[in-house]
Amino acid sequence: MTTPYWLTNVRLETGYIQDEKGAFETKTELFHLKIEDGRIVEKQSNSFTIQTGENTKDGKGLLALPTFKEMHNHLDKTYLSLDWKAPIPAKNLEERLRLEAMELRELASTTKQRASAMIDLLLSHGSTHIRSHVNIDPYIGLRNLEGVKAALEDYSDKLTYEIVAFPQHGLLRENVIPLMKEAMRSGANLVGGLDPAGIDRNIEKSLYEVMNLATEFDADIDIHLHDNGHVGFYTVDKFVEMVEEAKWQNRAAVSHAFSLGEVPVPQQEEIADKLSKAGMSIMSTIPITRTLPPIDLLDQKGVNVYLGCDGFYDSWGPYGTGDVLEKVTRYGELYRRSDERSLAQSLKFATGGPTPLTNEGEVAWPLEGDAASLVLVNATCSAEAVARTPKREAVIFKGKVVSGQL
Amino acid sequence: MTTFWLVNVRLEKGFKYDNHRITGTETEICHLKVEDGKIVEITNVYPNTEEGQVDACHQLLLPSLRDMHIHIDKTYYGGPWKACTPLTKGIFTRLEEEKELLPKLLPTAQERAEKMIELYLKNGHTHIRTHCNVDPVIGLKNLEATVNALKKYEDVLSYEIVAFPQHGLLKSDSVQLIREAMKNGATLVGGVDPATVDRNIEKSLYTIFEIAVENNKGVDLHLHDPNTLGAYTFERMAQYTKEAGLKGRATISHGIALGDIQGEALIEMAAILKEQEIDVTTTVPINRATIPIPTLDKYDIKVSVGHDSITDHWSPFGTGNTIQKLGILAERFRLSDENSLSTTLKYGTGGVTPLNEKGERVWPKVGDDASMMLVNASCSAEAVARRASVESVFFKGKKVESKLIESNSVQV
Repeated sequence: MTTPYWLTNVRLETGYIQDEKGAFETKTELFHLKIEDGRIVEKQSNSFTIQTGENTKDGKGLLALPTFKEMHNHLDKTYLSLDWKAPIPAKNLEERLRLEAMELRELASTTKQRASAMIDLLLSHGSTHIRSHVNIDPYIGLRNLEGVKAALEDYSDKLTYEIVAFPQHGLLRENVIPLMKEAMRSGANLVGGLDPAGIDRNIEKSLYEVMNLATEFDADIDIHLHDNGHVGFYTVDKFVEMVEEAKWQNRAAVSHAFSLGEVPVPQQEEIADKLSKAGMSIMSTIPITRTLPPIDLLDQKGVNVYLGCDGFYDSWGPYGTGDVLEKVTRYGELYRRSDERSLAQSLKFATGGPTPLTNEGEVAWPLEGDAASLVLVNATCSAEAVARTPKREAVIFKGKVVSGQL
Repeated sequence: MTTFWLVNVRLEKGFKYDNHRITGTETEICHLKVEDGKIVEITNVYPNTEEGQVDACHQLLLPSLRDMHIHIDKTYYGGPWKACTPLTKGIFTRLEEEKELLPKLLPTAQERAEKMIELYLKNGHTHIRTHCNVDPVIGLKNLEATVNALKKYEDVLSYEIVAFPQHGLLKSDSVQLIREAMKNGATLVGGVDPATVDRNIEKSLYTIFEIAVENNKGVDLHLHDPNTLGAYTFERMAQYTKEAGLKGRATISHGIALGDIQGEALIEMAAILKEQEIDVTTTVPINRATIPIPTLDKYDIKVSVGHDSITDHWSPFGTGNTIQKLGILAERFRLSDENSLSTTLKYGTGGVTPLNEKGERVWPKVGDDASMMLVNASCSAEAVARRASVESVFFKGKKVESKLIESNSVQV
């Protein structure tokens, strides 16, 4: 653990004020935060005199935000740290998978190096939690899992992480379930899945096997679902039913879930209620080429919505920055969040929940006792940070500066 | 320094192929002699000379960028953060806001415009087309601020100023003001939605083109009206362009309706626009149907990107980073292989790319203006996909440097 110190002169939000026309603005003040054993143990106004002899680090008036959660990535797939390479065009998903399969072994020798480059990038943008899916398939076996695990272990003092065993080339194919079991014994924390209709061609069996693995290993679930329209919707609906039956509430997530935005609104509402009741989560990468799940509706109904950058700069696509805050900016632009409070409250999708202020303007973060995990940015408030995506000046994880400088 | 060598520059040389598929881009290290704003020599042999040298350190050289649709007169950029107010009456909420806001912003308008120009320069632009409010609230005062700001930067960028009747040419009775603007520094006649805003398509277009002809200038119209209404307006605009003899000098900004029409209708529309060489600018919006940029390009309609806003009372989003915008364009249209990523650059450079479709170097050539930028990438495709940083910028041979003395935030 680090020696106790004061993080001085950090800008924290203290409330909303309304101007003469009723528009909201954010009030901020400068504070000193005492950090000990990875926690904020004391929060004082900057007029407070710190005793001489105590350690300090100057926050330089920068705004503090809770650190971010990257909730959908594929650390094993990226080309980062290799020479530039554009993906090969594919006519359809089948061809895309074939192209990936051809490349997997070639990339396997550099998995740890590539994953580390991705982790560095994510960390530099303020994510201190990473959920990574890792291919478990007949071509690569467990080799990518080993590389990703080794990379993440090296960063275990800088972030927290979860690894999802991901049957990218189908769960119901020969020998994949035994491989998945081996993966769950070898460091994977969650059971993954993929398009029970489109890939596995047996919705019920595919979901059943996922649930089976989860219960066998007492693990949470996070499945990829690109299947669109009503077949995707049915899949989510069926999945919710199985989650309820297995009493796996609060332990299951659906990633992408484009289909939820492709059914009529009454059905969106119905499924949102069910997902909420089952404590399930939706992970979105905020695509601009696909339908989005109805993030606002899901959020209003109490479904946990998280964001991720997805695998990027890999055989699937050349773009991507690893910046979860930029994903929120994109969300704001897509959903036309442009007033102070809706911008500010959107930050929760990056942090996985916490925002400095509640919608009513009560201070919710940071409070004494909170983990000392903060991102420092050159902005005047959360709303500005969401709209303008400022550079991350420093990232602190449990009291330790893990990226940038102070 | 009128003559110097830009040494150790990475230039694209050709494509790499695998069975006719373009797999990568070949580059080579060259040395460029720049004289009187032009590139006068390109060689692989390191120059043995007393003349000044600038070392490009193997960075990639690309043509500098153009923002073809921005409003530098109307921005919060450079001032304190301000979110937008909630919309209650659509576009009219914003127009009403301008009545109070424009006079309030006026004292710092030039200063903010200059900060925006600085941002553009830093991001590799050496050309800006800005739409400047000309309306009964602010009269010609924003134009004055815009002209003054741009004049200060004449040595490092070229520009066009569109006299923009934001509050409606007819609706706000701004015809006379636009005429005056054309005599006071505006270089194009602007307009906005002849149907929805002016409520008289023919009269609005007629007046715009009349003013353009009087001043021998082109036009650039904001057209947001959707589907058939927008399409009809484009057709009438093309007709007026023809009658006014303004072929090649008319621009549609936004052109939302181009995203609403498909198939034969789109092909016909493209032919109509092509005949009058009407070009299109777009912000590549992600929150509405985007116009089909690659399809328009295929039909030989010139498409350029612009940021429209960096942060103002219309939108808090915006970066002024065209390389980023080109990446979003590519992502949006799934342009992800080497060739299509590489080609995407043209939407930000006025059509210029280092290689043509055959993979031959067409830029830079001896005789070209030395308006260019060095970026941190191995090729154009990587620059677009991976959002390369711009390391230095040259305008007609001159290295672009900041003119800002201090960077205090502007008070509004």
